Amino acid sequence: METKEKTRFKHLEKWESTLSACIRCGYCFEHCPMFKYTGWESDAPRAKIITAFGLLSGELEPTKMAADKIFNCFYCKRCEAACSSGVTLTEVFTDAKKDLVEMGLKGPGTTSVTYMNCARCLVCVKACPHEARFHGEDGIETDPVKCQACGICVEVCPAGAAKIENNFGTGREDLITESSRFLSTHTSAKAIVFACNWSYFPDLQASRLPESETHDKDYEIYVNMCAGRLESQLLMAPFLNKAWGVLVAACPEDECQHKNGNTRAKKMIQGMQSTLERVNIDPARLQVVEIPAGDKTLFQAEIDTFIDRLNSMGPIR
Amino acid sequence: MIHQKGIPMKSVDESKLREIFGDNNVKTDPSDLYAFGSDSSVHHAMPWAVVRPDTTGQVQKLMAYANDALIPVIPRGGGSGMCGQTVPIHGGIILDMKRMNRILEINLPDVYCRVEPGVVDDDLNLALKPHGMFYPPTPASSRIATIGGEIANNASGVRSVKYGATRDAVLGMKVVMPNGDLVTLGAHTRVEASGYQLHKLMVGSEGTLGIVVEATLNFVPIPEYRCMGIANFDHLSHAGGAIGAIMASGAIPSMLELVDSVAIKAVNKTMNLGLKEVAASLIFEADGMVKEAVDYEINKMKEICTKHHGSDIKTSYDPKERAKIFMGRKKLFPALSKYDDSLSSTSLADDMAVPYSKMAEMAGKIHEVAKKNNIIMTAYGHCGSGCMHTKILMDTNREDQWASAKKAITEIYEYVRSVNGTTSAEHGIGLSKAESFKVEKADSLKLLQTIKQALDPNNILNPGKLMQAPEDWVTATGLRYAVHN
Ligand code: SF4
Ligand code: SF4
Ligand code: SF4
Repeated sequence: METKEKTRFKHLEKWESTLSACIRCGYCFEHCPMFKYTGWESDAPRAKIITAFGLLSGELEPTKMAADKIFNCFYCKRCEAACSSGVTLTEVFTDAKKDLVEMGLKGPGTTSVTYMNCARCLVCVKACPHEARFHGEDGIETDPVKCQACGICVEVCPAGAAKIENNFGTGREDLITESSRFLSTHTSAKAIVFACNWSYFPDLQASRLPESETHDKDYEIYVNMCAGRLESQLLMAPFLNKAWGVLVAACPEDECQHKNGNTRAKKMIQGMQSTLERVNIDPARLQVVEIPAGDKTLFQAEIDTFIDRLNSMGPIR
Repeated sequence: MIHQKGIPMKSVDESKLREIFGDNNVKTDPSDLYAFGSDSSVHHAMPWAVVRPDTTGQVQKLMAYANDALIPVIPRGGGSGMCGQTVPIHGGIILDMKRMNRILEINLPDVYCRVEPGVVDDDLNLALKPHGMFYPPTPASSRIATIGGEIANNASGVRSVKYGATRDAVLGMKVVMPNGDLVTLGAHTRVEASGYQLHKLMVGSEGTLGIVVEATLNFVPIPEYRCMGIANFDHLSHAGGAIGAIMASGAIPSMLELVDSVAIKAVNKTMNLGLKEVAASLIFEADGMVKEAVDYEINKMKEICTKHHGSDIKTSYDPKERAKIFMGRKKLFPALSKYDDSLSSTSLADDMAVPYSKMAEMAGKIHEVAKKNNIIMTAYGHCGSGCMHTKILMDTNREDQWASAKKAITEIYEYVRSVNGTTSAEHGIGLSKAESFKVEKADSLKLLQTIKQALDPNNILNPGKLMQAPEDWVTATGLRYAVHN
């Protein structure tokens, strides 16, 4: 019963007792966006902890596939909020990433990359809330240990060169496709809610409801990693698909995990509201609300209020 | 530690699996297999492949193939089993049922619902809530536990004292047998006397007899009123007396929980809750549609607690106050995990049941045995249903602590059996509890094996569990801890 090659993971090593302290209850699955999207338990936070243990103990080879388990994470810390045993999962992941990078396994997983068409304008370097983007030997690079996959660089890059390749359903195109699908398949559909992942899903985790329970659904919630990542094309898309309104949930002032994602979103939405007004659409049809992390009651209340307001306004003519 | 004891890895025909399930629903990379080798137990073993069915037809095809090729198949839900039920001790294919997660029907006039096995317990309750209904067996792990897994282990929880366990809620089911045949068991009615009631046999069979692909479940109305109370006791025996008296009084608690001194200390130490450090606390609850009726039940329980020297008795209908009362119990898991950096909280011998009159004595016995063996054990439990939970705090990196834990557990189970208790009340047997299970059920083991043989002649469904599990759970599989000599 002895472990081998442990020393290769010298940053991860300090978490040995934490890895044992995780009681493997799996409560952290709940709402992990990775798990919600892929449905594979091996992508869920518990599996990442198991992977970290496997790497540290030498039972699991540090391959690209194993490394990706760790690099595929949005750092939303929902798992930590749900953990029954106070495990600080993302801190464990960060140290595992340090070791993996030293072994030449750099992801990218969900961390951002830079495409050839980068104009070297440094906008992303300035915007990155985690100082993960820098001007390196190969142009603009990302430090995969520091990157927390917020997607802000993707949103600000004027050349479209900053990308998160493994989006797991949170990319602009995915969200546009999914929200259009909801709007076109539900005659009762009125609103699309884009929730920052820090808000809450007052919703099913994975199970699917019978038609009879969902056919009269009037809104659908789509999760975004940070409100700062929302951009106008995405927010306009539902209106083009006959939505009555769009609601955005962001963290309260000073509580953004990515520094200023929420204020960035608010500014952008203000701009869009004036555009709506100019084309004679009530700007109140596009709203942003502040939801503290995990406040599911408030989130549901805000959604209900928004739907009530839309009901009094009726569809866009 | 992976040491699969010389079990040769049989070749799984990967292309066959891809043909049945599609490329996106088959995993064979070690990084995935490694994660699927664990559940919430202390065990770990590597499977050979993981597949994810979406339809009953796919499950049937897989079983026909596996039965022919003699490859073990281990059905898996949320992976929240605590005794190694889904750990593939002999390798094989993990059948991850989480994608078969449709709630098929909520039938209010006939008071049943039909669900696929991958439906998460909390999700089912979320779907029933708008109709004023709930599904009561709900274990503590309801946020990830699937209905299939709950059926496999006859799961129950804090409210089972009033509403029963999974077996009481299951009316019928569709099951894929080990040879791929699909059978319909049970009925859609509240009562049935048409023969063997084989659906009840499937409940608690830990995935060794068949694969549930659909279940018909009973549900009940959400009570209008809920009142919770707490009482402190200076002696375990006084709390024990109160438990027995409450259960014998005709009162119907919807919850009756015991929390011992070790648990209270742990919560105080790590969470600073400032709970009074007494020998034991009892948390009791009554619920119902009529307030007077709930008052009646609660007052009865209060009176009994007072009579048995309970003090600091408080009760409340207010949700916030109720949450406060339950806080100590709720924070127990994280408290135990943080109790001491060098100790881990493990699930072993964690859910025995004993007769009501023995609950308190049992808690005392647990403390005595733990002390003798140099480990820390807490006792807390759903004493209303006779179930005692424990957690063992030990240094999981030290081999000698495992030996101590094993000794302590053997002693505790000896006591449990000596007072006509049973090895598992809620979590099942799996691997960790086979030692005591085999002693307890000694005279029916052959019968169990005959049933298994009749239904699964090639022994491919979750082999090596229950009566087939190795006696020594410590060496049954690798342990999921870094154990040093
Ligand atoms: S931080 Fe978020 S994405 Fe990462 S494992 Fe936790 S819940 Fe999943
Ligand atoms: S919730 Fe916490 S203790 Fe439970 S499996 Fe996840 S990390 Fe481990
Ligand atoms: S802006 Fe966000 S996604 Fe981009 S590099 Fe920085 S942390 Fe990563």
